Amino acid sequence: MRRILFICLIVSPVLLKGQSVLDSQLNGSEKSQQLVSVLDSIQSNGSFQIFFLQEWLNDITVEQSYAGQSLKVLIDDLFQGTELRYVLMYPEVLVIVRDPSYAKKKEAEIQIARSSGIKIDQIILGSPSVQQANSGNVTITGTVMDWVSGDNLPFTSIQVNDSLRVVSSDSNGKFQFSVPKGNYLIKAKFVDYEDKLIDLLAFDNGDILVELEKEAKQLDEVVVEADREEELSRAKIGKTVLTVKEMKYTPSFLGEVDLVRQVQNLPGVTTVGEAATGFNVRGGGVDQNLILYDGLPVFNSSHVFGFLTSFNPDAVENVTFYKGGVPAQFGGRVSSVLDIEAKEGDYEEWSGKAGIGMITSNVSVSGPIKEGETSIAASLRSTYSNWLARSVRTDYADLRESNVFFYDGTVKVTHKFNEDNKLSFTGYSSHDAFKLVGDTTYRWNTNLASVNYDKQFSPDLGAKFTAGISNYDYNVEDENFRTASRLRYRLTAATTSAKFFKEKEGHKIDFGAHLNYYNFQPGELSPTSDASNAANFSLDKQNSIELAAFIDDSWEVNDRLTLNAGLRIPFFMSLGAADIYEYDNDDFKQVTGITDTLQFGSFEPIKSYVGLEPRFSMNYKLSETTAFKIGYNRIFQYLHLVTNTTAVTPIDIWQPSGYYFEPQRADQVSAGLFRNSLDNKFGVSVEGFYKHINNLVDFKDGAELTLNDHIETELLQGTGRAYGAELALMKNSGKLTGTLNYTYSRSFRTIGIVGDRNASINNGLEYPSNFDQPHVINFNWKLEVTKRHFLTGSFTYQSGRPVTIPLSLFNIDNNFVAFFSERNQFRIPDYHRLDLGLVIEGSHNKRRWAKGTWIISIYNAYSRQNPYTVFFGTSDLGIPEPFQLSIIGTILPSISYNLNF
Amino acid sequence: MAEVKTYRLILALIFIGLAGCVEPIEFDVPEPLEQVIIQGFITNDPGPYTVIIARGLAVRPDTVANRPIQGAQVRLYDNHGNIEDFQEVSPGTYSTGGAMQGEIGNSYHIKVRLSDGSEFESTPDLMTSGGEIKSLSWEYEEGNPDEEFTETRDDVFGIYIDSEGGSESENYIRWRMTGTFRIETRPELYEVVRPYWDIPLKRPWPCSGFRTATHPSGSGTIVVQFEPCVCCQCWVNNFEKFPQVSDDRLVSGGEFSDIRIGEVPINNVNFYDKYMVKVEQMSLSRVAFDFFRLMKVQRESASSIFQPPSAELVGNVIPNDPEDRVIGLFWASAIDTEVKFIERSDIPYLLTPTIQVPQPCNTFYPYSTTEKPAEWN
Repeated sequence: MRRILFICLIVSPVLLKGQSVLDSQLNGSEKSQQLVSVLDSIQSNGSFQIFFLQEWLNDITVEQSYAGQSLKVLIDDLFQGTELRYVLMYPEVLVIVRDPSYAKKKEAEIQIARSSGIKIDQIILGSPSVQQANSGNVTITGTVMDWVSGDNLPFTSIQVNDSLRVVSSDSNGKFQFSVPKGNYLIKAKFVDYEDKLIDLLAFDNGDILVELEKEAKQLDEVVVEADREEELSRAKIGKTVLTVKEMKYTPSFLGEVDLVRQVQNLPGVTTVGEAATGFNVRGGGVDQNLILYDGLPVFNSSHVFGFLTSFNPDAVENVTFYKGGVPAQFGGRVSSVLDIEAKEGDYEEWSGKAGIGMITSNVSVSGPIKEGETSIAASLRSTYSNWLARSVRTDYADLRESNVFFYDGTVKVTHKFNEDNKLSFTGYSSHDAFKLVGDTTYRWNTNLASVNYDKQFSPDLGAKFTAGISNYDYNVEDENFRTASRLRYRLTAATTSAKFFKEKEGHKIDFGAHLNYYNFQPGELSPTSDASNAANFSLDKQNSIELAAFIDDSWEVNDRLTLNAGLRIPFFMSLGAADIYEYDNDDFKQVTGITDTLQFGSFEPIKSYVGLEPRFSMNYKLSETTAFKIGYNRIFQYLHLVTNTTAVTPIDIWQPSGYYFEPQRADQVSAGLFRNSLDNKFGVSVEGFYKHINNLVDFKDGAELTLNDHIETELLQGTGRAYGAELALMKNSGKLTGTLNYTYSRSFRTIGIVGDRNASINNGLEYPSNFDQPHVINFNWKLEVTKRHFLTGSFTYQSGRPVTIPLSLFNIDNNFVAFFSERNQFRIPDYHRLDLGLVIEGSHNKRRWAKGTWIISIYNAYSRQNPYTVFFGTSDLGIPEPFQLSIIGTILPSISYNLNF
Repeated sequence: MAEVKTYRLILALIFIGLAGCVEPIEFDVPEPLEQVIIQGFITNDPGPYTVIIARGLAVRPDTVANRPIQGAQVRLYDNHGNIEDFQEVSPGTYSTGGAMQGEIGNSYHIKVRLSDGSEFESTPDLMTSGGEIKSLSWEYEEGNPDEEFTETRDDVFGIYIDSEGGSESENYIRWRMTGTFRIETRPELYEVVRPYWDIPLKRPWPCSGFRTATHPSGSGTIVVQFEPCVCCQCWVNNFEKFPQVSDDRLVSGGEFSDIRIGEVPINNVNFYDKYMVKVEQMSLSRVAFDFFRLMKVQRESASSIFQPPSAELVGNVIPNDPEDRVIGLFWASAIDTEVKFIERSDIPYLLTPTIQVPQPCNTFYPYSTTEKPAEWN
């Protein structure tokens, strides 16, 4: 403080009131005046003195009217985020000071950043010379992008001077904030990227480019960061972005990081058991989840009957999961969408990763084919559990002749023609072979190939075109020479789609169309040797098309309100050739009741369905950190997975809608309150939902589903409903981070005609679905002990799921036969489990050519014997006795090692 | 595809080095419903025909194996107005006197009236033509670890048949296989161990015909045969684990060839001397076929860890009062029977000698009788 000016002016906009200078009431005439003039006029009234250095305040202008408010409000507003502070020395004497500590702090931060290798860009907007002319606030707009690929990075956190303003970039990587002119330190943070600091001198409005560089830690895995990166109060309801992050931080099952297991930790998502394929969302079936891999549907997402998910986390770029408020661009499955994007290769340099676990080993590479233009990413994962299986000798069975094998591989090649045109090709293949002692081998395969073309027509109009084929098939080979045969099943989906993205005046409009063609070979049996007594038997092939047009508008009405409305119109048609049986009783179809056979020629339309799917969601910000959201969606589903086991097996059948099976229709409403702390350190959310599903498909008791050419006699359609509330707490930063969520939900089904046991399940009365688990608690945490050591853990609790059990027995022909309870009227004991992990990272020194990470996991730390299922053994007298099976009935440690190079 | 389910369990065990485990579990189950169970059939063979009436049992390991309903009136009807009454020949078991014989093309049903007044009636079941078994053979099969993960499977003889279906367009056929073997026990060697006494007390079972007597020297007890033993030799029936029914979809035409309908475990009890295999090919109506098919599904999946909810067996017996609970089937069947013996010498190796059990054979072996079956020679 070299000089203090004392200025006196005659014009006064101030009404005098109150005791302190800070209480001086303003009357509105201060609007558009320089702050200096305003202060001067207050002093001019005589009783107050204000001391300040004019050059500090020269560029500050009062932009709005503060009529009726005090001087305190005005200067608090204007000084916010600047280095200016004030001290009330006496009630009538105000001293404006510059806080040098802040400047020092900033300088220190820059120093630290420099020394740790963080890049600091210096950006100057405007020039000091215009400062007098302009008003005091500047608006900064900007774009965050990947320094290498040039892709925009959505939901990046942008901090201005620590916590003065925290904004995040939108889905296109754009952001905007407004601050008084001055010098600011901008920090951009995005998972998997190095933090970026920008020393910004802002004298004028301007547009800045924030380029982030990938962290040197390459090819890390996926961890659920539910609602974390995207602040809670901004995200769309029901949407979770799973970002690619270091896998080290979650204890894993036998050291295998698993994408679907991460999804299972989210509120509202459950699974029927440890070794079960897929997941259940809000009381829905496994087949009600749309899994997309680079835009193509995946029909079986598991290895080894569900022990592992068939997506290698190293090959995944990011994952978006919707359990409610599903946008109109997605359709065809009623419960959820899991949209997986395969990892793109690096355009600048080569890198790789190899990992060894107890079950699988994997290797991944990524790098440029042509620097800056064409890149490739490839990964392969395979098992040697074969060796493991054969080395185990048990009392139960000699497993030395068993055979378990699987692999999955992905390759993605991307070519950038220029900033606006990008073409990528994705290939994916997953294979399983499984043979236990005996003569039966199961094999199943998923093969995908897709081409995606991204085009930016103009700054506000972009498009994505996708074409591809997704194939799923399995075969069951019986090698017994008397019955040698092969059962085949195949499902092929050819997909084309065009999606356009348009932005205009706060509207983000997505629109486009989608065409799927499905071809099913629902079952073909052929003998494989001359001595075989198996017959040639083949079910009719089934063809169908699914066409949908959609439009979706996300409208930022104002700072507080964002509306999203969409409409999707799906059209589904099943096509010949087919022989369709007609029955004398439509409610109770039985083979003996066939009255007629309708014949349809090749590609002759059999039946078609048109739907209207309105979608709506709203996000209303009650405050900067609190939002209220609601969402509604209607979705039709045309493919039904037909299974008569609780857990899905790879040899289940996908049955398209058609002459007999109407499409499922789900209506879901959800609403919630979301709040995060200003710095996004803590978050809390409460969300409730109600879901109603029509035309659910369920099997009759004792249904025979394989190779059944009148499968309509074994299946029934009905309704389902589910409701629940999901509570989540999050701590996102600090040494200890974690999430805790609790869900209460119920899920029921009602199928068939009340009182008609032949044409109903459970006599037509409502019964709990297989996935009805009222209470679910998930708790995950990570404690950073040192920079390289982490203690992690998770705890899960789920109510026991419903089962059907025998209530009484009777003896028929010297065999005990059970009389069962109504469906799902009893429950297995509750499920709970604690997992612990220790992660030891290798040196963080980037100059080392390779970096290793040890992961030690303890699964089921307190050795809980969780029932996976209940089954009935037979006593010596032949009486069934209930037993529970725990798949993992003991503590299960594992260790794995990953190497990045 | 029941197999896949059990495989999956074993797989679990493989992966985790036998960390999985199986434990009994208890459910809070209400007392068994007072269901009435009615079963019986008529064939084109000469009678007598039998109907068994019992009550449902609790699902407990200590369940009594049978709760027969006595004192019922049972009457057989055909579609020509013929009637014959059943008589109770043992508790809960009712037999005709042989006046009526089943004929292909006729329909049969029964009416049952219990002593408490409740009445039940089966819907008429048509006897369709049955076809015949063309050959019955067996084959030695080396033991494998069983699908049922709790035990290792014995070496067995697989039983195969070639057969002709009936003349019907859809063949609903059940093959019922019954195995019978002869066994001998030594009930006269039974002894009771007494506290503080070194020498067990000799207590021959009375049916053995032996009695204890004081040794002529006066220094101990001996056993002496006074009468022939009536419980030393038994014929034991082995019933199939679940009904075998035909599968029209998987086997061509009306010809069934090389169908495996069961197996005989090879051990020194079954093959005390030889083993009789009796296969009955029974034609079924659709209702009866569905009943046995669902029963098979349930029996097969009973130990499946995935436990698909089992079908309710509906049958064709209807109560007069809808409140009464009944599960029952009275079916009519054209029958063709084939009997063959597997000799102990057919086993490609020597069996260890059978342990001599000091018990009456008919109480020690379930489903056994001291009456020599008519087919045994």
